[in-house]
Amino acid sequence: MANVHKDFHGALSFGIQFLDEQYGMAGLEEFFTRAAKAVYAQLIKNLRERGLEALKEHWDTVFGLEDGDFETRYEDGVLVLDVRTCPAVHHMRANNYRVADHFCEHTRIVNEAICAGAGYACSVEYDQEAGRCVQRFWRAGA
Amino acid sequence: MISCIDYIYVYSELFKYLEERGGYEKVVELWDGIREEFLANLREYVARDGLKGMYAYWSHTLGEEGGRHRMTLYDDMFVIDMHDCPSAKKVFREGRIEPYPKYCEHCPVLYPPLLREFGYDVEYHIIDCESGQCRLVVRKPEGAATPDARQAPP
Repeated sequence: MANVHKDFHGALSFGIQFLDEQYGMAGLEEFFTRAAKAVYAQLIKNLRERGLEALKEHWDTVFGLEDGDFETRYEDGVLVLDVRTCPAVHHMRANNYRVADHFCEHTRIVNEAICAGAGYACSVEYDQEAGRCVQRFWRAGA
Repeated sequence: MISCIDYIYVYSELFKYLEERGGYEKVVELWDGIREEFLANLREYVARDGLKGMYAYWSHTLGEEGGRHRMTLYDDMFVIDMHDCPSAKKVFREGRIEPYPKYCEHCPVLYPPLLREFGYDVEYHIIDCESGQCRLVVRKPEGAATPDARQAPP
């Protein structure tokens, strides 16, 4: 069982705001693309070798551990991650941590880096204020 | 969303990135900012309950983070003996990322200056970063007006 310390979401949010103020959106893009390739190298490999089911298992695991209100499902070969209550945004608001101006952008950048490394594509529609998003993943070119 | 269970890897990567772009000073600038803006809850614990507040704060955070440690609370001293830091283990021993070599230096930048603001003497000893061993010692100087003294009955 992994140790779950949700205050780390607040620390990540602080780091995102810091990066944004120092280096702008280009810095966020560069950092999270690089970090995703390093931190999620195994997930990228699993996605490449096993397809979307590997990604579904990842989301089911982490959102389950974090007690998020979410659903994963397939729609015509597209994996959909429907996050109704984001554990990160919800925890930060509940504990008075600042939510970075572009906090949810890290989801887009990290997902794109993971997918690009495995031959997949993705999209995300988010409402940062409400702490909700819908993420979609599909095989590139499909 | 980067899960909080993956945060430590990203934290280490962020230190590397900042050092590449702005030097070590930029990494310390991030840590100073975390101390001054993000650790408001630690400040509240210490302002309210002094050494006991430190014990309560780290009981919560280290309890959730895991690892192996001992905390000791005396009337005039608080000590954390970290035997197996959960973050250092992720960074240096799991092989998932290329570690930021100065990873452990964030703790002495984050905590001692904050605790000294309340009148305490503070030592931070990194014993062995890669094996996750360090020690924080906080002493209440005799006669100092720390929050503990303010709690004492008249």
